[in-house]
Amino acid sequence: MPLLLAQPGELNKIMAVRGGGETKRFLESMGFVEGAEITVVSEFDGNLIVNVKDARVALSKVMAGKIMI
Amino acid sequence: MGIPVAIAMNMMDIVRKNGDHLDIERLTKELGCTIVETSALRGEGTRNAAEAAIAAASGSAPKYLRFSDEVEAALKAIKKEAGNKIAGPSERFLAVKIFERDAKIMAALNFTEQEKQRLDEIVTMCEEQLDDDSESIITNERYNYIAELKAAAVVKGQTGLTTSDKIDRIVTNRFLALPIFAAVMFLVYYIAIDSLGTIVTDFTNDTLFGEWIQPWVQEQLEAAGTEDWLVSLVVDGIIGGIGAPIGFAPQMAIVFLLLSFLEDCGYMARVAFIMDRFFRQFGMSGKSFIPLLMSSGCGVPGIMASRTIENEKDRRLTIMTTTFIPCSAKLPVIALLSGAIMGGEWYMAPLMYFVGFFAVVTSCIILKKSELFAGDPAPFVMELPPYHFPAAKNLFLHTWERVAGFLKKAGTVIFLCCVAMWFLASFGMVEGSLELVEETEQSFMAVIGNGLAPIFAPLGFATWQAVAAAFSGFVAKEAIVSTMAILVGLAEATEEEPDLWQAVMAMFPNAVAAFTFLVFNLLDSPCLAAISTMGQEMNSKKWTIATILFQNLYAYSVCLVMYQLGRVFVGGEAFDAGTAVAVALLVGFVYLLLRPAKKGSKNVLSVEA
Repeated sequence: MPLLLAQPGELNKIMAVRGGGETKRFLESMGFVEGAEITVVSEFDGNLIVNVKDARVALSKVMAGKIMI
Repeated sequence: MGIPVAIAMNMMDIVRKNGDHLDIERLTKELGCTIVETSALRGEGTRNAAEAAIAAASGSAPKYLRFSDEVEAALKAIKKEAGNKIAGPSERFLAVKIFERDAKIMAALNFTEQEKQRLDEIVTMCEEQLDDDSESIITNERYNYIAELKAAAVVKGQTGLTTSDKIDRIVTNRFLALPIFAAVMFLVYYIAIDSLGTIVTDFTNDTLFGEWIQPWVQEQLEAAGTEDWLVSLVVDGIIGGIGAPIGFAPQMAIVFLLLSFLEDCGYMARVAFIMDRFFRQFGMSGKSFIPLLMSSGCGVPGIMASRTIENEKDRRLTIMTTTFIPCSAKLPVIALLSGAIMGGEWYMAPLMYFVGFFAVVTSCIILKKSELFAGDPAPFVMELPPYHFPAAKNLFLHTWERVAGFLKKAGTVIFLCCVAMWFLASFGMVEGSLELVEETEQSFMAVIGNGLAPIFAPLGFATWQAVAAAFSGFVAKEAIVSTMAILVGLAEATEEEPDLWQAVMAMFPNAVAAFTFLVFNLLDSPCLAAISTMGQEMNSKKWTIATILFQNLYAYSVCLVMYQLGRVFVGGEAFDAGTAVAVALLVGFVYLLLRPAKKGSKNVLSVEA
């Protein structure tokens, strides 16, 4: 399921990163790779703050929809 | 790349504070290079790091990361194929870049078509084996290696949510985020403008300049028998002119101290996150909010803060609109005019922030619909620093940099502007010869002002004094107050004085015109310092000129509509041709806001972040 549906505070594993080419590579360079553990810290109006690889990253709703857990 | 490396392991203070442990020896062995623990925030270990770098420079390159067998096989094949073109200490780096199909490296290496094709075959074969694109393969393998290394050398002191996460759960909470943000902003402006700010501004203006410096200089000069015109230049022109802008430098320092605090502690990045959805509605991203906030202090750091926006269209849009937000140099202008119009009502300043914000929103919507800016703003992805208490040294450094930039401007541009304005207002041609004029009506300033007045007549301020003041505003907004003060012969007066208020009000036919004058000076192109920053950040003459034209055209149209309609509905005057033009402009404005958007190319992210 997409990251958008994750419960805040719950530990998840990234199964796949969608979005093709540029977007996928960008997300990967920020640490969103297959197998990485990811936790949603906070949700605000669809945008998310996540903890991935011990870094805090803010993501828009569109981008969060491309990450599958 | 085959270059010797020394690693400075930064933020060790936070590692220790969290109770984590790093096995530096193990890391050194695995990576094959010197590692020095540092904390840049506290200035720990920076010297050691520099020494380690010097020592490493004469040593050998660190071990390279071994990829999986499939990738290593492909790299070997690439090295064989590329041969001499990549030989040397950087061979492995170049082979990996070729594997990733890096466009810049490929272009620099000048392969023949045949070679390119064979290299591509090698990469494609490996991609098929591992079922992923080559750049993702490398990224994933690197992360795998990092994960292994981390498991071996890092012991986390605590698991679960860090303090930073706990703060985020409250500060970016969907119900609390906006109230907390509003409270923080209120506090910043309450301290900077209302309470502490007023005290320091009053002290510098009234006591330091008004009671100490100006009378003292005048006495000294008169005692020394200096000629009248020189006393007038120094006391009225220079001290009176520069006194006003320097007078609010302390206030500006407070604004920047507080904004630097929000930036350094990590809250500013969260604000960008909170505001993203809201800004997206009119075509900007949350990252545009930080420049807007900075611009409320000064447009120069505001424009510079737009650098964090990776997408070029989004960045240009932000630069073009950010100076609509009233900067602290416009505050004395607002104070003066609101005093002149209605005796200094408190709501004038908030109203002007609202007008500025309205200008940002409407111009974004209008510009977004043109072909140049079409397309959705880039999706929001931003790394958030952990919250931490900023080091006092860094805070003061940030604040000083910004205030010093402003003081430099006050000392150079505004100084020259004051001298020029004083000259133009004090001298004139009387019966064919250059003379110190008794009445400003005979001065050069009056001649120039009268010449330009017809342009501003539709906006209601056709007197030469008002035109001259607006003109000096193109150089620096704070010069508007000093020019007006010089023109009415009350050079030592500040924007808070009722005498000056009355004299200024006499420059305008009615209150609507004075209000329009204020709005025009808020929305027209910013001061010279901001324009030159704009030029640097846009890095294009064409865009800089387009921005200046856009800002002035926008300001002129909005003010024309405002004055012509205000004259009829507030002033009770009759409809005429001017009203018709205003209505036509208003209809055009609404059309530009509501027309369907042009379809633009889809914005893509840059990978530089």
